[in-house]
Amino acid sequence: MTALLTRVLGREQTRGLRRVLLWAAVAAALQGVAYALLVPLLTRLLGDDPEAAWPWVAALAAATAGYGIVAFGAAVRGNRFSADLGRTLHHRIGDHVVALPLGWFGGERTGALGQVAGQGVVQVMNAAANLLRPLCVAFVTPAVVVLATFVFDWRLALAMLVAAPVAAAAYRWSGRLMSRVDRQSHAAAVETADRLVEFARHQPALRAFGRTAEDHELLDAALREQRAEARAATRLGVPGVAGFALAVQLCFTCVLLLGTVLAVNGSIAAGELIAVLVLAVRFVEPMGAAAELGGSLRVARGTLERLDEVLATDPLPQPQNAAPLPREYGVELDGVRFDYGDGRTVLDGVDLRVPAGRTVALVGPSGSGKTTVTRLLARFWDVSAGTVRVGGTDVRDLTTDQLMARLAMVFQDVYLFAGTIEENIRAGREDATDEEVREAGRLARVDEIAERLPDGWAARVGEGGTALSGGERQRISLARALLKQAPIVLLDEATSALDAENEAAVQQAVSALTADRTVLVVAHRLDTIREADLIAFLEGGRIVEQGTHEELMALAGRYAAFWAERERASGWRLAARP
Amino acid sequence: MTGAALADTREGTPDTAPQPPEAPGSPPGLGDLLAPVRGRLIAAVVAQAAAAVCSTIPFIAVAELARALLASGGPDEGRAWAAAWTAVAALVARLVLYATAGVLTHLADADLQLGLRRRIARHLGRLPLGWFTENSSGEVKKAAGDNISTLHHLVAHTALEVTAAIVVPLTALVYLFTVDWRLALVALLPLLLGGHFFTRAMSGGEEVTAKFFGAMGGVNAAVVELVQGIAVIKAYGRTSRAHRAYDDAADSFSVFFRDWIMSTTRASTSAALALSGPAALLVATVAGTLFVTRGWTDAVDLVPFVLLGPALTGSVMGLAQSGHAVQGGLQSAREIHALLAAPTLPEASEPTAPAPDGRVEMTGVGFSYDGTTDVLSGIDLTLRPGTVTALVGASGSGKSTLARLVPRFWDPSAGTVRIGGTDVRDIAPNDLYRQVSFVFQEPHLLRTTVRDNIRLGRPDADDTAVERAARAAHIHERITALPRGYASVIGEDARLSGGESQRLSVARALLADAPVLVLDEATSFADPESEAAVQEALSALAAGRTLLVIAHRLATVRDADHIVVLDGGRIAEQGTHDRLVALDGRYARLWALQQKGAAR
Repeated sequence: MTALLTRVLGREQTRGLRRVLLWAAVAAALQGVAYALLVPLLTRLLGDDPEAAWPWVAALAAATAGYGIVAFGAAVRGNRFSADLGRTLHHRIGDHVVALPLGWFGGERTGALGQVAGQGVVQVMNAAANLLRPLCVAFVTPAVVVLATFVFDWRLALAMLVAAPVAAAAYRWSGRLMSRVDRQSHAAAVETADRLVEFARHQPALRAFGRTAEDHELLDAALREQRAEARAATRLGVPGVAGFALAVQLCFTCVLLLGTVLAVNGSIAAGELIAVLVLAVRFVEPMGAAAELGGSLRVARGTLERLDEVLATDPLPQPQNAAPLPREYGVELDGVRFDYGDGRTVLDGVDLRVPAGRTVALVGPSGSGKTTVTRLLARFWDVSAGTVRVGGTDVRDLTTDQLMARLAMVFQDVYLFAGTIEENIRAGREDATDEEVREAGRLARVDEIAERLPDGWAARVGEGGTALSGGERQRISLARALLKQAPIVLLDEATSALDAENEAAVQQAVSALTADRTVLVVAHRLDTIREADLIAFLEGGRIVEQGTHEELMALAGRYAAFWAERERASGWRLAARP
Repeated sequence: MTGAALADTREGTPDTAPQPPEAPGSPPGLGDLLAPVRGRLIAAVVAQAAAAVCSTIPFIAVAELARALLASGGPDEGRAWAAAWTAVAALVARLVLYATAGVLTHLADADLQLGLRRRIARHLGRLPLGWFTENSSGEVKKAAGDNISTLHHLVAHTALEVTAAIVVPLTALVYLFTVDWRLALVALLPLLLGGHFFTRAMSGGEEVTAKFFGAMGGVNAAVVELVQGIAVIKAYGRTSRAHRAYDDAADSFSVFFRDWIMSTTRASTSAALALSGPAALLVATVAGTLFVTRGWTDAVDLVPFVLLGPALTGSVMGLAQSGHAVQGGLQSAREIHALLAAPTLPEASEPTAPAPDGRVEMTGVGFSYDGTTDVLSGIDLTLRPGTVTALVGASGSGKSTLARLVPRFWDPSAGTVRIGGTDVRDIAPNDLYRQVSFVFQEPHLLRTTVRDNIRLGRPDADDTAVERAARAAHIHERITALPRGYASVIGEDARLSGGESQRLSVARALLADAPVLVLDEATSFADPESEAAVQEALSALAAGRTLLVIAHRLATVRDADHIVVLDGGRIAEQGTHDRLVALDGRYARLWALQQKGAAR
């Protein structure tokens, strides 16, 4: 746990944590001292000379005042620490995330990261503000109380301690049970949530095929399983919680019974026994509270582990000394191998050259590695073997900014920032003039979209903005890429058909974007493929054929077969009567 | 010793009796949501209250023990042992009652959750499909996940915590008043002081909470932008800018949090200190010593105050936290209610069976999502059995909406849609699905076996029938190449490309074998390499049915018996391809545009 904390919090905040813990521990110790003073105080009061209790009342007042001051200080420091901690964690996450390879960001991870940086950080902050002090009270105060009891009567102190190992063992046991219960419950909850979302997301199909909630066994099975899991958790959890409570009770019971024996025998003064019993109550109480803290602690720990996972991912290495800027804009893959580190080889020895100003089309079956080639050029990941060069320079010798300045990427998943249409285009080049922005917009026929919308160029897009069709979003992202005027264009052609007007607009924008540039395109349209300077046919992570359209057709190999199939498909017409 | 850590389970509850539909305008509250488990909750609260009373008995017994040992006539041994054993017995009873209460609430909660989730699922299944937008997944997840989990906390834990936090001090107070009412009054002082500070700490709470969520939302939005847009951010050299925006959001959250927490630290810590054990003991002993030395009270009567004094104040802070939980629970209940109150598609009370000829007629059909803007208006259209009708037009012209009225994904705002001569609103849901099948652009595959995905519409279909459909959809061979063949699970050991998934969904429609078939842009391909195979599958599916097709690529529907051009929700032109081209209108223009695109 300590190592985990140091890793996640960083050195400075770990020191802060220690300081807060120290204050809290001193406060808890003073609380124990205040409790211990009850014994002499009560003994005097119950004795023959109650007036003798006054000095002890004064001592108790002093201890309580000391406790109050230190506890106040601990609270102030704990809260301040909690606020600083949030800031540090947010910054650590941010700094790390921007340095991660682009390939790291996938669907699931994106959601999980959002969760960790949002809820997760707040949970850790809450733990720092609200959990540390009670935790100290739960452990330090009973320890001080038991030490004090030794001063008053060693036999009763031993009786307190007899049950302590049992309580400690029960605590660990119940903690382990709870972790197991939490894991199982969590798994069941995740499954239910998945099934529910599936049920909602696929409503069109489920309804079209007559599946109502009652008939949808997959969902109902998950719901029933979750209930079974909850019942099992109760069965497992109750013995743990009750066992610990029993062990804690045992401490008190031992003291009570032994004390009664001793008092009846006359080997302890009645007043003193009563005083120690009062103290024993104060010993037992914070231990019971510890059980409640256990759950919160486990939650905090889980969050820390998720944070640690993010922070432990290796960032994309940046060159020590940036290479001189390449002066020409060809790109090149040389003996490139790539796998995701899980044994799935995606590219298995790819050699490919796109001379400056030329267009190379990548074609091949899905899963053959076409998109991976373009992403390696943009350094979403680093190659496992071989070299990727831009303008003759290894991409690993370029800083991210240097590399990105040379590339315009148009991928299928279009991301628009929350902002206006104009701002989204301007993101392509911040210092572009208004005329340049409008010109880029015009080339991608975004002007037509702006005319349609009430707010025109200032219409908001992205989250919570105007609903744009997929084709319109593509046009805005193309305008953005156009504005950038980068010499190298990486293009992943859309596979889904657009309506005729969007299709025409998109093609026009793509033509403007790729004119006189170095272009590597994952091509689906037959025209794009035929007109490329070079076609590389990928299959199973290798380039199996390479050449112009005519050369490859003459080869009568994989490409020719692929082409024939595509031609046949493009002539297809749907009819009810075959 | 509440041990609130009782398994943090998040599970469901059974409900055998069908729930009545949500009464519109019923006040959102916890009461009716909890109704199915009310009995068990009451029993649990009673058990917990008894446990709370039992938990004060050992303290009272120790006081009795003190009296027995310090009795003027020397220690009364019998009375002392009686007191000691009473304490032990009370402890055991408390534990048993406490465990019983916990088990009762957790089991009740498990049932409650199952019942609520089933209720939500049933409701979802009856909502018009228009309700399901991109955001609805999040909403469903929140209602059926987070909100029900919040209720779990309320039902399984908070109810008991509150009971104990109220009953323990009350029992203690009643006992202390019987011992010495003056000292009992004094013992209440810390409570007043703590309450005062606490009120101050909580003042302006709602406003601050709103601000907190505002600042938190800023961080979350910045995180989302940073993470979702990272590729674009890096590609356009905006890394430092986006990073800065994120840092700024994080800093302003931190500053807000710090100001907020520091401004309340004084009051909240003062409250906590006033209510702390040492403070309660100090008050009890100062007053007690005064009373004893003045001879106003017996020293032995002070013992109960020292034992129970801290119990009077200790639970108040916990109560405040429970207050938050109750508020959260009420909020969750409101959100669940809101979901359950979304209006469902009405079901026919006396359903009529449609004629099985597969004729679809639309007369005067209009549709509006929001009641103001018409997406469709004045649509008159007949789909004759055994013919292909194609819907074409720009995005937003209403094609998809029109096609979705046929299987009654929602109801038209004007006019009627009839299948086999019967208004779709009068057809029982299960009959309707036997009449109309739908192939979507998205394949909508479920995380279950390939076999079960194919027989979604006919769960009783045997393996031969499933295989026949798969063969006709040109996907059988791909399936047999999967690790477990037809038993492979989608998304686990069956990872299919877009085209393969599409063919699987075609096999599903083939097996369902409904006379009317709607293809929603199913001719646009996620996976161009398997385009031809998908096409063949579609051709097999189309044969002999009443077909309604939405098509972007006009060439694919050139041979359709009837092409309907939609523009702004109205039928602009209709006829065969040749006739429409000759008309030289909107269709002719679209056709020319695509021909030009294809020729380039």
